[in-house]
Amino acid sequence: MKMKTLKLSMLTCAALVTGLISCGKKDTPKPTPTPVISQTDSIGTDFSSTGAYTFFSFKNNAVVARTDSNSTKWDFAFRFVNIIVNSQASGPGNVGVITQPGIYDDFKMAPETGYAYDTTSSRTAIDAGFTNGWYKYIDATHALIPKAGQFFVFRTTDNHYVKMEILSVTTNIPASNTEPPTEIWYKFRFTYQPDGSRNF
Amino acid sequence: MQELITLQKILYTIVGISLFSHVLGQSPPQADSVTRSLDEVVVTATRTENKVSNIPLPIQVISAKSIQLSGSQKLIDILQMQSGLVIANNPLGTALQGYPNPFGDGIQMQGLDPAYTLILVNGEPLVGRNAGIINLGRIAIGNIKQIEIIRGPATCLYGSDALAGVINIITEDPVKNSADFQVHYATNNTLGLTGSATIKHNKIALELFVNRYSSDGYDLDKNIYGKTIDPFVDYSAAAKLTYQINDKNKLTLSARYFSEKQFNNYIIYPESEPAIVTGTTIESDKSLFANWQHKVNGKLNYTTSLYTTSYTNNAAAFLKKSDSLYEKIQLTEWMVRPEVQVNIGKDPAALLVTGTGYSLENVNSTRYGSVKELNSWYLFVQKQIHLKEKTNIIVGARYDKNELYPSQISPKLAIAYKLQPDIILKGSIGAGFKAPDFRQQFLSFSNSLIGYTIFGASELSNGLETLQKSGQINPDINLLPYQQNRDLSPERSIGINLGVDYTISNHTVLKINLFRNDISNLIESYNLPFNKINNQAIYSYTNLDKVFTEGLEANFTYNFNKNFFLNTGYQYLIAKDKEILHKIREGTMYKRDPYTNVTTLVTKSEYKGLYNRSRNTANLRFQYNNIQYKANAFITVKYRGRYGFSGLNNFYNGNDILDDDREFIKGFVLMNATISKDLNRWEIQGGMENILNYTNKLLMPNIFGRSYFINVNFKLENKAK
Repeated sequence: MKMKTLKLSMLTCAALVTGLISCGKKDTPKPTPTPVISQTDSIGTDFSSTGAYTFFSFKNNAVVARTDSNSTKWDFAFRFVNIIVNSQASGPGNVGVITQPGIYDDFKMAPETGYAYDTTSSRTAIDAGFTNGWYKYIDATHALIPKAGQFFVFRTTDNHYVKMEILSVTTNIPASNTEPPTEIWYKFRFTYQPDGSRNF
Repeated sequence: MQELITLQKILYTIVGISLFSHVLGQSPPQADSVTRSLDEVVVTATRTENKVSNIPLPIQVISAKSIQLSGSQKLIDILQMQSGLVIANNPLGTALQGYPNPFGDGIQMQGLDPAYTLILVNGEPLVGRNAGIINLGRIAIGNIKQIEIIRGPATCLYGSDALAGVINIITEDPVKNSADFQVHYATNNTLGLTGSATIKHNKIALELFVNRYSSDGYDLDKNIYGKTIDPFVDYSAAAKLTYQINDKNKLTLSARYFSEKQFNNYIIYPESEPAIVTGTTIESDKSLFANWQHKVNGKLNYTTSLYTTSYTNNAAAFLKKSDSLYEKIQLTEWMVRPEVQVNIGKDPAALLVTGTGYSLENVNSTRYGSVKELNSWYLFVQKQIHLKEKTNIIVGARYDKNELYPSQISPKLAIAYKLQPDIILKGSIGAGFKAPDFRQQFLSFSNSLIGYTIFGASELSNGLETLQKSGQINPDINLLPYQQNRDLSPERSIGINLGVDYTISNHTVLKINLFRNDISNLIESYNLPFNKINNQAIYSYTNLDKVFTEGLEANFTYNFNKNFFLNTGYQYLIAKDKEILHKIREGTMYKRDPYTNVTTLVTKSEYKGLYNRSRNTANLRFQYNNIQYKANAFITVKYRGRYGFSGLNNFYNGNDILDDDREFIKGFVLMNATISKDLNRWEIQGGMENILNYTNKLLMPNIFGRSYFINVNFKLENKAK
């Protein structure tokens, strides 16, 4: 968590610097737009398919306390390979998600329609099965590999648009080779458009 | 350690003696000791005895002599030294890290997995595949007459599983009174005791064979608790009785028994707390065969046979601390098969062979709900045509009818044309199929630790209903779409082989074969689009993928002179997934560099094909006979070129296809050498296996480093007519 605060403050610094520079230019009276959050982050959770979810908010670029799970403060949550979005069976929000094939960097505009929701607790918007799901499971090494050329487009709980790509799934390295890990880490990047448009 | 040193000493002595004799052996050789005749008689291609030169198929024969000269005790070691055959472990079996490997090692042929090669003993199939692999350790080699390998689909004669081809192990026939004994001792305290005896009295002949083989196993990684290969003891026995009732009738009865007890010892982490587990895995394999041959006249004969075989695998593991049962896995497979075969014709190269049989199979496992049956009947017809001494044709087809999947018709056509007396062109095309296995049909398994569920295709409908009724699937989910049309079809293949056999001289033969196998309907697992209440997935099986393998096999045999023999082979192989190629063409196959996170499209040239296939493999067999000193030297070398492994060194680029150099395991060379010295009734052999000491503890756990062995053979023979 410390790391995130540090990263966040660095981002704020960067924003400040940009701000200062633009202030230096006198001729443009344009309103300064809220900067786009473009962030690579990691969140960790228990290596357990039955434990609690870890919740995340794109807008705040932060993990949300589990006590707020029944609020609209979060957009999506991880638990082992399962991903839920804050909608219908999973939460009071109206978060929709599209599983989008293609190259993340080349994706410039979120679609208007086509968003999926967690209709029931066992039929979630994001497929987490090991053949059709968002990752590949490698039998031989038990590795979970996010599929390349696939990312997610979210319409967040505050009606903004986000593209998000999971980059890696890693676990802590147990003391012994045969011991299962206890923690699992998701590294992902996302771009949050604060002006409410569908452009990235 | 002490015994190893002693062993080494003995070996060096033998090597010394043999080198000495080699020097002396320069005196003119006295007789032609290397068999020059390369035209062996085989039975696999036509289900009747036929010369290799009459058969328009790529066929390879491993003789008892070459098995004997190698001094090896394991079938897998002999097969893996042949060109184009490599050991293919199940990827799960290589990554078990100290757990007993439940699958055994199988053989990859023409780039196809072990599940696609049919293993026969005397023409009858073995049952009991684990993850598609028949543990070849079940076949003792002390009484093998020859091993016949046919490449390309042989389904038209043998039914399911013979897509890549057939490996048929032919055991000795009792022909003369004799007795043989062998003591084998090798590294890892490996002890083999073999005895066989043949008694021939008038019209009755009996062959008996017993073998005990045990080893302490070995440990390639000291950091992992438990051995890489656990200690084991094998017992094998076989008996064959033939009774030539009269000129027209012959009765054959045979029985085979194998059992292996493995002593397992490993560590588990049930609640993140380590616990040591010990136990045993007992595998057994029994079969009985009765065959009656009746010659009606010179043109017509038929055989009636009854074959029954069973396979069991029982594993029990106990927590060492509390001595309580940790896990028990049981599997029993059983098959009985009556069959009639009719052979019509006088010329063995122009026979009409037809037969029909009924196969009753059942399986019972802790992982299947109840005893499952798989019954089928079949009919095959094959005609050989011999035209003007120049052309041999085989045309045939087989019909398989099964309750669980659509009936299958598998035709085959093969033609050989003698262009010149020394050049034979061969071409064949055939269809093959592989029936969905028991696991794909009947599995009903819920993982207690993670909570997912897997159903075989024919269990899916009932399984889903049961889960929903017991509240494990949300009642809102409409199961109907997932309960219909879920039947599996057999995997299908079409195999083409085109080749040339060129007899360059009396003692030089070159054989080249081009092959292509197209496999469709490959059965893969998939997850249903909804989860259980516990949010864990439900899996089943469906027909999904299409792959192809193609390449070239070349084999060159050369007798330098009367004392030297050389055989060398090479295989070039390409094996690819057609769906992946399709995705690459339409621009939907991506990769993500794990270091820069940059995603790009995979290009056609980047895609190297299926994992675990070597583009290049080569082998060499060299034999030297010294007649004067009755000594032999036998050297085999096998090169396996680089091959891909998913997740090698934790390199992943997000697509699980082989498209990066970092996913390749380096090629390696295995080299064995054996020296034999004949002392009339006695023979002493000394050998070294894996001389270059290649090991790969993670990916090739079946290969131990350099090892040594000695054999003492004793032979009693009474040459009866």
